[in-house]
Amino acid sequence: MSERYDIAIVGSGPAGITAAINAKIRNKKIILFGYENLSNKLYLAPRIDNYVGFHGIRGKELAEKFKAHLDEMDIEITYERPDNIYAMGDYYAIMINGKLYEATALILATGIQFGKPFRGEAEFLGRGVGYCATCDAPLYKGKTVTIIGYNKESIEEANYVSELAEKVYFVPMMKEEYSLNHNIEVIQDKPVEIVGSTKVEKLVLKNSEIQSDGIFILRDSVPPDQLVPGLLVEDAHIKVNRDMETNLEGCYAAGDVTGKPYQYLKAMGEGQVAALNAVAYLERRKLNSDGVSNPTEGK
Amino acid sequence: MVMEVNQGNFNEVIKDTVPVLVDFWAPWCGPCKMLGPVLEEVAVELEGKMKVTKLNVDENQEISMEYGVSSIPTVLVFKEGALVDRFVGFMPKAAIIQKLEKHI
Ligand SMILES: Cc1cc2nc3c(=O)[nH]c(=O)nc-3n(C[C@H](O)[C@H](O)[C@H](O)COP(=O)(O)OP(=O)(O)OC[C@H]3O[C@@H](n4cnc5c(N)ncnc54)[C@H](O)[C@@H]3O)c2cc1C
Repeated sequence: MSERYDIAIVGSGPAGITAAINAKIRNKKIILFGYENLSNKLYLAPRIDNYVGFHGIRGKELAEKFKAHLDEMDIEITYERPDNIYAMGDYYAIMINGKLYEATALILATGIQFGKPFRGEAEFLGRGVGYCATCDAPLYKGKTVTIIGYNKESIEEANYVSELAEKVYFVPMMKEEYSLNHNIEVIQDKPVEIVGSTKVEKLVLKNSEIQSDGIFILRDSVPPDQLVPGLLVEDAHIKVNRDMETNLEGCYAAGDVTGKPYQYLKAMGEGQVAALNAVAYLERRKLNSDGVSNPTEGK
Repeated sequence: MVMEVNQGNFNEVIKDTVPVLVDFWAPWCGPCKMLGPVLEEVAVELEGKMKVTKLNVDENQEISMEYGVSSIPTVLVFKEGALVDRFVGFMPKAAIIQKLEKHI
């Protein structure tokens, strides 16, 4: 049903766009997910002195040059944000709000995530702690749910959950205005720890505690191993080898997401290596499938 | 082949002499839809060594409650009726097989 891309690239920072440019030169069918300004980190850099050939350039200026380069090569950015990517075996299934994209190879160039998980978060993941309230809401019919919300989407999710759960608490972690259903109780406090025995029992905040059967944490960016289940992550970075291969076949990673140093040229070099190896992977697979199909043709 | 289990046959099925995997799923759950075909492949690969089954949580809420399934997909592994392992969320085939190997 959905067309299959050769390579999906997630992230439009220096690593992702370099990967896209190199894959495109090799004539691969690509899809690049990201943002209009490419990368906040690039856009906001006041002055860059270590980008060879552009001493003293501003991040914004460099971003504009990058965009011109993409335009020149007819590379479009898809302004969407993959929620989950599943390794299906011979392809990757990329889910965005229930919509599905398919790609044979995958390059992760999502940059680094700030913010540490709460105490108890990892321990109770799947035993009351979750990252997608709408996904699991029906399991909380008649129960108490707490939502820690970092963005606009978390408001929508809270409102939806409040139609099913008996009681919903909302802990806002953002500054913007929001409007919640009247039956949601807002708690203005700072989450500290998630506590329970075999499953979640309560959320401990700086000045209070909430008894709760479920706690959903809705952040802007999910850790890479949440984005791609089964991906091997070490010290919060995706584990790669010199070829930028991850532990999942056909999945590559590049840029800050693979580890320090966090620098433009390192990110771009890795993006290039990742793209070239993804191309080699596609060619290997093609050879293999030809090799298998030839004998059965009986010639 | 992935067998459908429910309130009626659950307790019988998990007592099998080979280890039994139960996939807790629901029709409204996206990741469950992706895990389904992967488990079909697992079932083929582990034919004779492990029984692969699935349970619809919407239709079998008591069992889901009993095992504290609060997020789906959740996969439970039973050995002669005793729960020996559980994992939550989608996982690629190789990772699932690796996790199951110690039980077979
Ligand atoms: C203020 C500042 C100044 C800096 N100055 C320098 C400097 O002078 N020299 C230097 O070498 N380095 C500098 N850096 C570091 C540099 O910005 C990073 O090393 C570089 O941006 C890393 O590139 P990247 O492509 O790996 O990740 P990023 O630039 O972080 O790009 C990743 C992109 O992917 C997006 N993304 C994440 N998840 C998803 C998803 N699920 N779907 C779609 N998109 C997603 C992100 O929003 C982001 O746009 C500076 C950083 C900052 C913050």
